[in-house]
Amino acid sequence: MKRLVLKGLVLCTITMLPVSALAKADLVIATDAPPKSMNPHAYSSDANLSYMSNFFDGLLQRKVPEGKLAPALATSWERVDGKTWKFTLRQGVKFHNGNTFDAADVKFTFTRMKDPKYSKLLNIANSISTIETPDPYTVIFTTEKPVPWFAETMHQNFIVDKESSENRDSGDYNTRPIGTGAYKFVEWIKGSYISMEANPDYWEGAPKYTSVEIRPITEESTRFAALAGKQVDIVNGVPVTLYDKIKTMPHIELISQAARRVIYMDITNKPGTPFEDIRVRQAIAHAINEPQIIEKVMRGQATLAHQVPDAPTVGYDESIQRLAYDPEKSKKLLAEAGYPDGFEMTIAGPNDRYINDEKICEAVAKYLAKIGIKVKLDVKPKSIFFDEISEFKHHFYLIGWFDGSFDFGRSAEKLLHTPNPDKGMGVYNGAYYSNPVIDKMIIDSSSIIDLEERRKALQMINRKSIEDVAWIPLHYQQDIFAVVKGKDIKFTPRPDRWIVVKEIM
Amino acid sequence: MKKLLRSRRIQSFLHDPSAVVGLGILLLFLFCAVFAPYIAPMNPYDLVSVDLGDFLLPPSWMEGGVARFPLGTDDQGRGILSTILFGLRTSIIVGTSVVTIAGLFGIIFGMLGAYYGGLLDAAIMRAADTVFAFSTTLIAVLLLGVFESRGIFTVIIAICIADWVKYARTIRGSVLEIKNYPYVLAAKSSGANDFRILFRHILPNALPPVLVVMAVDMAVVIMLEATLSFLGVGVPLTEPSLGMMIAIGKNYIYAGMWWMVIFPGVTLIAMVVGINLFADWLREELNPRL
Amino acid sequence: MATYIVRRLLQGIIVLLAVSTVCFIMFRYTGDPVLMLAGKYATQAEREMVRQAYGLDRPVHVQYISFLGGVLQGDFGKSYVSQIDALDMILERFPATFELAFIAITISFIFGVGLGVVVSVWPNGILSRSIMAGSLFGISIPTFLIGILLVMFFSVYIEIFPSFGRGDTVQIGFWRTGLLTASGWQHILLPALTLSGYQLAVLIRLTRAGMRETLSEEYIKTAKAKGLSPGKVVLKHALRNVMIPVVTITGLSFGELIAFSIVTETIFQWPGMGNLLLSSIFETDQPIIVTYIMLAACIILTINILVDMLYAYLNPRIRYD
Repeated sequence: MKRLVLKGLVLCTITMLPVSALAKADLVIATDAPPKSMNPHAYSSDANLSYMSNFFDGLLQRKVPEGKLAPALATSWERVDGKTWKFTLRQGVKFHNGNTFDAADVKFTFTRMKDPKYSKLLNIANSISTIETPDPYTVIFTTEKPVPWFAETMHQNFIVDKESSENRDSGDYNTRPIGTGAYKFVEWIKGSYISMEANPDYWEGAPKYTSVEIRPITEESTRFAALAGKQVDIVNGVPVTLYDKIKTMPHIELISQAARRVIYMDITNKPGTPFEDIRVRQAIAHAINEPQIIEKVMRGQATLAHQVPDAPTVGYDESIQRLAYDPEKSKKLLAEAGYPDGFEMTIAGPNDRYINDEKICEAVAKYLAKIGIKVKLDVKPKSIFFDEISEFKHHFYLIGWFDGSFDFGRSAEKLLHTPNPDKGMGVYNGAYYSNPVIDKMIIDSSSIIDLEERRKALQMINRKSIEDVAWIPLHYQQDIFAVVKGKDIKFTPRPDRWIVVKEIM
Repeated sequence: MKKLLRSRRIQSFLHDPSAVVGLGILLLFLFCAVFAPYIAPMNPYDLVSVDLGDFLLPPSWMEGGVARFPLGTDDQGRGILSTILFGLRTSIIVGTSVVTIAGLFGIIFGMLGAYYGGLLDAAIMRAADTVFAFSTTLIAVLLLGVFESRGIFTVIIAICIADWVKYARTIRGSVLEIKNYPYVLAAKSSGANDFRILFRHILPNALPPVLVVMAVDMAVVIMLEATLSFLGVGVPLTEPSLGMMIAIGKNYIYAGMWWMVIFPGVTLIAMVVGINLFADWLREELNPRL
Repeated sequence: MATYIVRRLLQGIIVLLAVSTVCFIMFRYTGDPVLMLAGKYATQAEREMVRQAYGLDRPVHVQYISFLGGVLQGDFGKSYVSQIDALDMILERFPATFELAFIAITISFIFGVGLGVVVSVWPNGILSRSIMAGSLFGISIPTFLIGILLVMFFSVYIEIFPSFGRGDTVQIGFWRTGLLTASGWQHILLPALTLSGYQLAVLIRLTRAGMRETLSEEYIKTAKAKGLSPGKVVLKHALRNVMIPVVTITGLSFGELIAFSIVTETIFQWPGMGNLLLSSIFETDQPIIVTYIMLAACIILTINILVDMLYAYLNPRIRYD
């Protein structure tokens, strides 16, 4: 009997060929990164936050397409003075378990975010000194020192339910999210998919798609296979290597838009190294043929970067120009700096973090070799690479940056200021670039509240950093999405690359 | 020379076409690996000579191919043919180093264990059991997963740590038997020291099975290196490896760019088949009970 | 027999202890988990807080003892990356790996022994020659290459089998199976073939060698002389004898199977334990890696003991004292 069943199954398999598209959910989305945890504060990566944005709401949200701040669980907010922020909360919102949302939940959330056992968003949480809740629908935050971008992060600090969260063990808390979001969690089959269903009582109205499945597929070519096999409706992180091939597929629409993440080479000016001399730094910058990297390595799917912040960021200055590709000038500068025969150096970088990261490193290595520098390439997995960055092991490396706060001030503090971990300064200035003039400009800017004045101050820092070759911006990544045609899916990519399903129409 | 050609071994070898083919392939690849810098059209790992502009070219006989790159190029503009030739070096260096180093340690430990017995023997056998149960591949993957540095040297070390027991186990069996042979006992009673007995009397007779294991192991290690590099825990991007080439090419198979997988793949298979053919002959010839 | 089993179990425990010690020591010398746990904006003070919260500031031997204590209670710690119980995360993926391995073993067993018999009964036919040539290729193609070639042919070129994932699955109690749906079978075929390839080739050669030896023995010749049909001779007498080494080798090479399941799962994005292991290696997720190793060790040791017992059962001449 058993054998018969087995036989039947095998026969079934063969008659079912060719592969049929089996999509039980209304909408199936393939992403390039799996969720790490269902605890909304466990991970600060945009990939994880993207998943969470469907189950949870922040006090604020960012709207497509520009990413403007908009009300969410808070209906209005204001910066009362340099250190005080007041949020008025939305009434009548319920969590997925039926509990009512109020100020106590907000206070609980931000208190929990300070606990390293639950949270990796320690930075913003620890900047808060007190949280007051004068009534159930008002929350007043006071920060330790002025944090100009405080409200700008409120779209990614997701609010959890106080009553239920307190009593759940961490295993449950980390695998079954309970929020106020547009979608209720159904199940998470790790390594396969995460499924969700529409929250009919959502405060913004029920979303269009009732049951949605998100499938993380980390391999580029596999993501393509899923798309080609019509097993998914929307794909993010479409591999640039297959861009041209996909363009010829009639059932797929490609959406490519400039991403917020910039890829740049970080460089030191440490005394005792060749990089101390600005001419050496300039020589390196002139040697890199970034347009060719964009054309060949990125297949045209990237935008030339003249500076580190991107256009929507406060502090962006469109008049800043990068040092142009000019290998002859590089050789001359090197000779002037006393290195006519070059010197030895290492290019470091991750090989599993950004689009084609290791290939960009390889390409940069080739350009530097051509101006006579003896280059060693040292690319490794991000887990090891980022450790080394935090230990200031490398003088010259590739890294990407994208600041969810839309404010260059925070980026400058982390990336440009002389490292001073105790003050939280320069923690990701792994090359140990140090310039007292820029340091002072950064500190001075943090207490400026007026937006236009602040913009000017930040633009100055930005310009100075390029003039002094504190870093060499390469390009902004291009986010490429593919959408299956014929199902009437209206998908607009977000600047932060999140996939917020309620926005898909 | 004539005498040598007429010797029984050589005759048997020459009459086994598959063994001749196997050794032929092996020698050809060995030649390619040794002289790679001279016969390869370019050095794909010399940063100055590679041009990104030449990326993703198909083989020269296909539309869009160029004569400079007979087998096409990869996504960094490296010629596939040149990269294969340099990749063969890695395969052969890793293969021979592991077989030599692991073989040496295995033979020494195995002989000492079998000859003296006791705690040393027990420890070696327990280690051997454990390694055998876990398999060399699993151990190498796990070791390389936690080693911080990447490189040919690291790969060799990781494989050796797991691989020596294979030899220890093989030679142990022979030594246990041989050490009670009359001529060994005679040498012992005539007062020869242990070193002399082990290396002059026992080793030569215990060696044939080890030689077979070495031949088979060479094939296994070459595949293992490719597998490790494919998984991303083997040699780093900056060093040539057939496994790495296939890993890179894998991303392009859906785009129809098969040459980045097929050429290194066929090379790898041909090399391993060659070694295995030779190993088969060696096994028949030396006929150890394995 | 009983004392033998007890002794093997004790040995097993010692091996596990040794394995756990080795793992633990090795991980002390790789990436600092604090950086990952604390998030990218963390200050030095915050990193110290994290270090303390997770007890990573204690001396190594104290950490080790508390780790062992946890293990004894089935607590392997939580994943650094997801903060989910490491053992749960791995066990959740166990069914996927088990089903893959099971189908692969079945394929290699049926075809390996079957073709091995064909080859030894008709040793000179074209079929046999091509089978033997095939088996030579089988042991000469690394698993990852088999997988990629299968994908290139079946998924990219003639597009009949999917190249990734498990397809539709059904949850039965704690077990999530893909073997009850048509899509599940479609998805498992290529990975299972990949995983079975090497083993299949080895079994063909092993069966052939065993059969060749057995068929030349006196009692087989006697049986043939008695007028028993060749089929019966092969099935009843020869095969039974050949099964002993075949079963033993299949059981003992379980470690190999687990290792190659890592490769196979990576190629096919199979949501099993091997896939999890490899991504954990790249993320330096120490608790997951340690748990995986310990679990693999347990499985391998158990199988080895079972195989030993089976061996004793199949071959009563062997005595364990």
